[in-house]
Amino acid sequence: MDCLEFRRQLGAEPGRRDAAFLAHRDACPACAAAWTRAQQFERRLADALAVTPPPRLAERMLLAQATGERLARRKYLQRGLALAASAGGAFVLGRFLGTRDDDSESLRALAVAHLPGEAFALGLKQPIAVSAIEQGFLNRGIRLAASPPPDVTYVHDCPVGPYRTVHLVMQRGGLPVTVIYVVGHRNRAHDRFERAGWHGTVVPLRAGTLVAMAANPELLAGAVRDWRRSLDGPAAGGPLA
Amino acid sequence: MPVLPFVNTRQRQFEALVRAHSGELYRYAYWLCGQAALAEDLVQETLLRAWKGLEALREAEAARGWLYTILRREHARLYERVRPGLDELDEEQHAAEMAWSDPERQGSDAELRAAMLALPPKYREPLLMQVLGGYSCEEIADELGIKSNAVMVQLFRARQKLKEALSERSETNHGLS
Repeated sequence: MDCLEFRRQLGAEPGRRDAAFLAHRDACPACAAAWTRAQQFERRLADALAVTPPPRLAERMLLAQATGERLARRKYLQRGLALAASAGGAFVLGRFLGTRDDDSESLRALAVAHLPGEAFALGLKQPIAVSAIEQGFLNRGIRLAASPPPDVTYVHDCPVGPYRTVHLVMQRGGLPVTVIYVVGHRNRAHDRFERAGWHGTVVPLRAGTLVAMAANPELLAGAVRDWRRSLDGPAAGGPLA
Repeated sequence: MPVLPFVNTRQRQFEALVRAHSGELYRYAYWLCGQAALAEDLVQETLLRAWKGLEALREAEAARGWLYTILRREHARLYERVRPGLDELDEEQHAAEMAWSDPERQGSDAELRAAMLALPPKYREPLLMQVLGGYSCEEIADELGIKSNAVMVQLFRARQKLKEALSERSETNHGLS
């Protein structure tokens, strides 16, 4: 390889590592100096291009995908209704699908739909600091009345549909329990549900609503009791879920 | 017991893909279109298309190239629909979008970024693929459907133009001071 060819390759592909290229660099002081300058420029270029992605980009992308899937399922159900109507079976099926569709904007449905977007949180095992949990609530204007449960592994102030929430995950008996505390929206009554493989309970709590979800329904009562204590203070008790 | 028993394999594969590549895709998109919000839209469109066509991805190693290809096509589609005005790509706008960078990194990095955005797409695109994506000349040639020698020429000229632009700015600044 001669100097001309070396400089041509250096200008196009400064990161080349093939033997002939490196041999010329090592044998020619002028080309070695050019190579050093080229590497400096490449580092500068790489630094300049290192745009920081927006915070929580991956989570937002996953949420968009989950929302799209939900909408696609709704369209599929609506098409099913139309087909059923043409086949003369609209009444029974329509009631079923109509109920599903009406329910899709409910707090329970929105809470369940929120989970795939942050599914990674369900796998987190390391408890987080109490200060981080308190800050998560403070971000929503809420001061905890007592210490939070010790097994919280995730906290984030997420939007869930139109609601402002604090999203938490706890690990209990090796299984994740998700708690979504909805700020400023108090459900009228306790509610239980089973949806998309999740068991859940909806509990009015302080000026908001707590939604707890787990694959095992036996984990819900303890989670709600613990959060009632944290939000209402140590004296809080009674039947919960 | 699996950690996420309720999430199916396809969903898990997609999540892994998003977590591994969304940041890198964003950087590529940003330098292709020059606008932060548009870049995020491009990444979202890319990943939604990837989700719909996930079955086409046979090997995990091919994921990155596959996603880059989708993003490039999405970007091309975007330009077919809406061609941003030149005023949207001028340096002032670009400088305003540089709010993400450290104040210490303003200056020469900002000049290099402005020069990068001023590069014609035929030079900028292969350079991005090489610097951000780590593509070889042959891979870029395959992706862009041109000859490897032509890619080498474009990459050579892209770097030359960047250096020329920096040199001109440096001279201008010296002239002003």
